[in-house]
Amino acid sequence: MTNDHRKYMTILKLDEAEIQSRRAFFKLADADLARLAQLRPFAEKVTDEIVEEFYRLLLDHPATRAFFGDEQTIRRVKRTQRDYFLGLFAGRCDTAYVEDRLRVGAAHERIGLSPKWYLGAYRQYLHLIHEALFAELKDETAIREAFASIQRIVWFDVALAIDTYIAANLDALGRHQAAIRELSTPVIRVYEKILLLPLVGAIDSHRAHQVMESVLVHIVEAQAKCIIIDIAGVPVVDTRVADHLLKTTAAVRLLGAETILTGITAQVARTMVQLGVDISAMHTVSRLSDGIELALGLAGKAITDK
Amino acid sequence: MSGQIPILTIGSTLLTTVHIELRDAVAEAFQGDVLLAIEKTGATGLVIDISGLDMVDSYVARIVAETGRMAKLMGTETVLVGMRPEVAATLVRMGYTMEGVRTALNLDSGLELLGHVVPKRKAR
Repeated sequence: MTNDHRKYMTILKLDEAEIQSRRAFFKLADADLARLAQLRPFAEKVTDEIVEEFYRLLLDHPATRAFFGDEQTIRRVKRTQRDYFLGLFAGRCDTAYVEDRLRVGAAHERIGLSPKWYLGAYRQYLHLIHEALFAELKDETAIREAFASIQRIVWFDVALAIDTYIAANLDALGRHQAAIRELSTPVIRVYEKILLLPLVGAIDSHRAHQVMESVLVHIVEAQAKCIIIDIAGVPVVDTRVADHLLKTTAAVRLLGAETILTGITAQVARTMVQLGVDISAMHTVSRLSDGIELALGLAGKAITDK
Repeated sequence: MSGQIPILTIGSTLLTTVHIELRDAVAEAFQGDVLLAIEKTGATGLVIDISGLDMVDSYVARIVAETGRMAKLMGTETVLVGMRPEVAATLVRMGYTMEGVRTALNLDSGLELLGHVVPKRKAR
C-alpha cells in the first residue's frame, strides 16, 4: 500500500477548512449525512446485487475488462467495492473519509484506469442505486430525499476522484521538472576562469531562463572571463533559441565576461542565415576544441606543441 | 546635492562606487560630479563600481550608460564593474544591454582593462 493519497491530500490542500468549503458547495449538509446513515440497512440489503450488476458493465466492456485479471482479482475488487458502497452510508464526511476516497482515486490512477471509465462506471452506479431505491422504498418523498442526499455525497466523491487524477499528474510533472532542472544546466570549469556549458535537448523559454540565471551566477562565483556554450546537442535552433542565446550573451557582457558559442553544425548555420538571425554579437566557432582555444586566447593563454 | 557619492582619483583613473540607490536628484548630481571631476583631473579612465546595488532600474541604467557616453566625448573610457547576476538578467530582459559601455567582473579587472585600452599619459 503506497502513501500517495497523503501526498495528494497535501497537493490539493485538503484540510478541514477545504472539506467544509467543498461540503457547503455540494450542499452536503449534516441532515444528508444523517439520512445516509438511516439508509444503511437499505444499503446493506442491496449492496451485493448492485456490486454484481456494476461489475457486469465493467466486465462486459473489453477496455475495462482488461483491468481485472483473474477470478481472484475480481473477487477482491468486488469486496473493495462493497466497502466503498457502504462507505457512502456511513453518515460521516470528515478528513478520514476524504483520505479514504483519495486512496480509491490514487489506486485507479496507479493502475491506469482513466477518468472516462471512472465517470462512465459511476453513471451505472447511480442508475443502479436509483433502481434499488424504487424497488425497496415505497414512499415517493422518501425516495426523492434519499436520492438527493446520495447524489450530493456521490458528486462530492467524484470531485475528489477527479482531483486525485489531477494531483497525481501535477506530482509527476513536478518531479520531472525537478529532474530536468538538475540535468539542464551543468556548468563545468574547463580551465582557470573558463567555464563550459554543454546544452543538450530542446530549449524552451523556461529552460532558457534557467540557463541565463545559472550562467551568470557561475561566472560571478568563478570570476570567469569566458563561458563556452556548446549547442551541438540542441536539436532545433530557431529564432527564439537564438534570441535567448543573444540575451544571455548580452547579460554575460554586462558582468564583464565573454560568451563563445560552439557546436554550430552546418544545418544550424544554414537555418540561422536563412532565418535572418544575426548572432555576430557572439564569438562563434564550429568545434568545441576551437572554442577552448579561443577562450584561452581571450584569457591570454595559448596551447603550444611540446 | 553633490557629494553623496564619492569620486576617488587613482593616478589617471577616477573610481566611484555607487552604494546608494540612484534616485532622480542624486543621479543627476552624480552625473554632474563625475563629468566635473573628469574636466578637473583630465582622467583617462573612469571605473563605476555597482557591486553594492542589488537592483538597477531602467532609469539608473540609462544614467550610467549616458555618463559613459558623455565621458567618452571628453576622452575618458568608462568601465562598469561588479554587476550582480540578477541585475544583469533583469536589465537584459528589459532590453537594456548598455551597448557602448565596457564591463568587467571586478575592480581589479576593470583597472586592468583600462590599462589596456587607455594610452598611457599623465593627468594634466
